[in-house]
Amino acid sequence: MTDTDTDANNDVRTDGSGTGIVAPDDEVPTWSERKERTTGLSRLTYEYFERARREDQDLRQESSYIERDVLGFPAWPHETIRNLALASFFVGMLLFLAALLPPTIESPANPAETPSVILPDWYLYWSFGLLHLESLNPELALAGGEKIMSDQLYGVLANGAVFGAIAILPFLNKGSARRPVEEPFWASIGVGGVIFAFTLSLLPIEAMFPWDVHITFDMAFFLPVIGAILTYAVLKTMREGYMYNLNKRYYRLRPPR
Amino acid sequence: MSLERKDEHDHGAWLAEKDLSLIEKSYLTMLIWLDRRLRLVDYLELLEDMYYKINLQMPKSHTEQYNLDNKFWYWYPLYALGSFSLLAYIVAALSGALLGFYYSPSTAGETPVAYQTIESIMADLNFGFMLRSIHRWAAQVMVAAVFLHMLRVYFTGAYKEPREVNWLLGVVLLALTVLFGYTGYLLPWNQLAFWAGQIGVEMAISVPIVGEWAANLLFGGLSLGQPTLQRMYILHVFVLPFVVTALIALHIGIVWMQGIAEPH
Repeated sequence: MTDTDTDANNDVRTDGSGTGIVAPDDEVPTWSERKERTTGLSRLTYEYFERARREDQDLRQESSYIERDVLGFPAWPHETIRNLALASFFVGMLLFLAALLPPTIESPANPAETPSVILPDWYLYWSFGLLHLESLNPELALAGGEKIMSDQLYGVLANGAVFGAIAILPFLNKGSARRPVEEPFWASIGVGGVIFAFTLSLLPIEAMFPWDVHITFDMAFFLPVIGAILTYAVLKTMREGYMYNLNKRYYRLRPPR
Repeated sequence: MSLERKDEHDHGAWLAEKDLSLIEKSYLTMLIWLDRRLRLVDYLELLEDMYYKINLQMPKSHTEQYNLDNKFWYWYPLYALGSFSLLAYIVAALSGALLGFYYSPSTAGETPVAYQTIESIMADLNFGFMLRSIHRWAAQVMVAAVFLHMLRVYFTGAYKEPREVNWLLGVVLLALTVLFGYTGYLLPWNQLAFWAGQIGVEMAISVPIVGEWAANLLFGGLSLGQPTLQRMYILHVFVLPFVVTALIALHIGIVWMQGIAEPH
């Protein structure tokens, strides 16, 4: 083996000009030996392939050439048509829903007549529920049991606190974990938060339930904690058990931060 | 022989040294004349550029690269929620623009004019009931999709390190979406609208120092009336559409630049 052969093997070539996976040994004729043996059409073919390969290599070595990995589907037409199809399907479902369940319009605004249950639209139930936390508003014993702030302000601040907690999330939870099993603690916080949003939504209508209103209020705070603990336990078990073993390879594959 | 460098852009000389037929010559002369004035070459370059951009291939995602699709395919529907919110937003914008032709934000009269216009859209206008239904459902679906989108981002850790800005933008967009809905369902001026507006006014007033100023700014007074409806209407059809559209464009632009964060 000569020096040039070793160099050729160590060189990382992406143009297909390498020796492939089988290392050449002494019995295998070199390219120059083959070239000398061949004549006629095969010789011409060889010379043409040499030229073509050379041309490719020159193109690759041009400064404007960027070599890319094998990529996904082309944007046009595959991705575009697929996305248009998905979008049309979704808009179609939306129109179907609109045709199937048309909205009603209740009686016109009447400041003189208060409805029995005052509620916002459904996506604000949790926020409205936060306004119903007046029994948590601390009373100051020194001031004769008076409250420092009004119950309504307390509820508004609770809304602000919820949005603030959501906003600072990426500054609290660092790291590269991407799946609930990898971070059972944060996943359980999330599940607790989701359940809390539901239980808070029940507070504005707690009087409508056939049991004592205090039970609904207590459940609003106990159920999220129970849900969070259950989630934590389940994810810890999954992490210790087969899921972790199954995916250990991929945890190790991830480059260190 | 002259020492002066040959002018490579002397198209006349280049034309003269070629042996061309009359048609070829007049075609080239015309082309050069036009190109001198209109820079056709630049537009050809733009076209070429566009060709390559249209045929651009999206890079492989993490799961494709490491062949993990057999483990994560069940996540994929959750990855469509962001686009669903956008689609619902577009549908709501189009149907809302049409509704705007027939709606008038006025509380005048025994039965408020705003309420009457909604009733007339539903009863008198061809496809009016459907139009209102589409607008309402698009709004409901958008809010639901935005909430679920946030949950997906939370549980797949997609808000983490390089993506903090987009998470914050998303929180702002979530608040604005809810505000969009709030200002929207106040517009029919029915019982739901009035008493939900009442909650809003009382929330604003309860804040010390700036509360009354804020109530006057947002609701046009400390009690509900024509100014409230006027302000909600302006917020819903003029202020929020521009702000939210710009922020959505920024939000998606950042996702485009940073790529989607898939679970590893």
